[in-house]
Amino acid sequence: MARIELDRVAKRWGEVTAVQPTDLAISDGEFVAVLGPSGCGKSTTLFMLAGIYAPSEGAIRFDGAVVNEVEARHRNVGIVFQSYALYPHMSVAKNIRFPLRFRGVAGEEADRRVHAAAALVRVDDLLERMPGQLSGGQQQRVALARALVKEPQLLLLDEPLSNLDATLRLAMRSEIKALQRQLGVTTVLVTHDQIEATTMADRIICMSKGRVEQIGTADDLYRRPQSLFVAGFIGAPPMNLLEGDAAGGEGRVGKRRLCVEGTEGRIVLGLRPEHLRFADTGLAAEVVDLEPMGREALYVVRSPLGDVRVLVPAGGRGAAVGDRVALAVEDDDLLVFEASSGRRLEGVRPELRT
Amino acid sequence: MSTLARGQAAAPRQVAWDDLARRGRRERQVRQGLLLAFLVTVSLPILLPYFWMFTISVSARTGGVESVVLWKACAILVPAVVAIGAVNVFVRRPFHKLLGAAAVLVLAAMAIVVAVGADLHLDNYAFLTNPNFVQDLEGRGEATVAAQFPSVWTAFFNSLVLASVQTVMVLGVSTLAGYYLSRFNFQGRASFLQALLVLHAFPAMTLIIPIFLLMYWTGLLDTLTGVILVITTLELPFAVFIMKGFFDAVPWDIEMSALSDGASRRQAFWYVVLPQVRVGLLAVGVFAFIKGWEEYVFVRTLLFDKQNWVMSLYIFWVSEDIMGVDYGAVAAVAVFYVLPSLLLYIFCQKYLTQMTLGGIKG
Repeated sequence: MARIELDRVAKRWGEVTAVQPTDLAISDGEFVAVLGPSGCGKSTTLFMLAGIYAPSEGAIRFDGAVVNEVEARHRNVGIVFQSYALYPHMSVAKNIRFPLRFRGVAGEEADRRVHAAAALVRVDDLLERMPGQLSGGQQQRVALARALVKEPQLLLLDEPLSNLDATLRLAMRSEIKALQRQLGVTTVLVTHDQIEATTMADRIICMSKGRVEQIGTADDLYRRPQSLFVAGFIGAPPMNLLEGDAAGGEGRVGKRRLCVEGTEGRIVLGLRPEHLRFADTGLAAEVVDLEPMGREALYVVRSPLGDVRVLVPAGGRGAAVGDRVALAVEDDDLLVFEASSGRRLEGVRPELRT
Repeated sequence: MSTLARGQAAAPRQVAWDDLARRGRRERQVRQGLLLAFLVTVSLPILLPYFWMFTISVSARTGGVESVVLWKACAILVPAVVAIGAVNVFVRRPFHKLLGAAAVLVLAAMAIVVAVGADLHLDNYAFLTNPNFVQDLEGRGEATVAAQFPSVWTAFFNSLVLASVQTVMVLGVSTLAGYYLSRFNFQGRASFLQALLVLHAFPAMTLIIPIFLLMYWTGLLDTLTGVILVITTLELPFAVFIMKGFFDAVPWDIEMSALSDGASRRQAFWYVVLPQVRVGLLAVGVFAFIKGWEEYVFVRTLLFDKQNWVMSLYIFWVSEDIMGVDYGAVAAVAVFYVLPSLLLYIFCQKYLTQMTLGGIKG
């Protein structure tokens, strides 16, 4: 198992910068998720860890030793690709055995390890099949077995669940998590699905446009997003982001004045749909749309701040389209961002004074 | 339909399923019959010349050619084919189908033996054992290269060497070049690919004089080596392009996976990538072999010595010498010449028809 460090690691393809200089530390046995939309550089980071891409600058360290020049085949890293990347012409057993042939493991010892790895992910009854004869979930397990059979010091998962159906995804999620706990292998999961990241990983690295936006637990990212990007990306339905101005302690968002001390210029007010509720008194608003989702209902409400989404749990106070309602919100739930930089203004405590 | 009818009419109308089934069967039979008739008609002009060549080779005697055997054979075989088709269409159980087809075949074979059996002989194939068969032919005049014909096996062996060495070279170079073009980015890659296409579109005949001079200057004129190099070169652009296409279809993922599994780039290529392009190798290989086997223009230009003759030159000189005297012998040589290509195609067609240019099932 290994402790992984990235020290100002960047990747450029000619003019294009895929990954900006990035610092990162992953401790031994940790499960980390790299979360971001497609094209944010998360897969590039993964492939740099695997040794398939060489970083353009900076240093990658495994247990303190710089591995920039160490070839992929010597890094002892297990990867599960989004496509599973099983070798189509080899049986399941041969697929799992493949990494062993380059490690000088042969004969009964190899058989034993193939069986152990296959049993670990419960594909030991499929060893003679060809990959083409397996279902998506089975292929996924075989890919996991192949990655684990070499007893890797680092396990990389590249969107491992995105090709599975919803039920299977749920099952594999907890299974992979349990497996990681059991083996204690340092694991990096790359995904664009926030649920996958928040449910599986100890820590989440949120990336956008080749830059790390924020590193923290699922809770940190949800409660204390450091940037507009994280605020908008984490949470479903997404946070309401309302533009406004601040000057001399007075702010204006939409038609509404509010008190914001400590900032000047364009600001963005962040407000989670689940933190808004219908009350007896508050912002006067009108319901313009309603999407019932079973467990809860999503309203679109025209308020003095602008159009906002409001998430109301089933059984809570409801309304119909066209109804006049009053919106209540706690001042503590309001987040203020600087519009120009996208950074959150942590010291600023706005007061809406409803 | 039926519920609708039942709802409207007072008396419920029975659907005549049996009638409908019979109608469906009849329509299917007509469709299949027509298709079969169409295919037979279309393939007749393609197959007839080959069949004629074959009948001449086993029936013609020195001094003339009989078309009677051909017509008799056709008169038996065409109805036989039609009968097998009919059995296929009208008989429903697979075992009975097989039985019917076998019966038709036995009948046809017997009819052929009765009708033309007496006319069949293998004398025309004397060339296989007798190198001097041209000279020995009865009632013939001077041969241009009389008594100097090499054994047909020399030509056969030369052709085999030419075709297979050329195939191996084309496969080797096109595989490596195709892989590199598919996987690596280098300066001039785009123009290289364009040049490949232009080269392929270039008529090779226009190069015949420069190539002759080149061979002359390099001392490769009148050697198999020279011809092999020339044909390999001309075959390569297309082969490289095809192989590049096949490599393009191999996903990057499995190669990266192999690398992180501990394989070197070369091992990943050998153990993981190459097995995915087997069909491509087979296609390029078969086409290269056939090309080498049938090559005529360049061997005619670049090879003179009789010991260097390949099959196409052999058949050319045989027909030059005895055409008009003994069609049978020429036809027999032609059958012998065509046989290896035919066998190769029959052997490989199962794999070649699976080929969806660059497709991988996985």
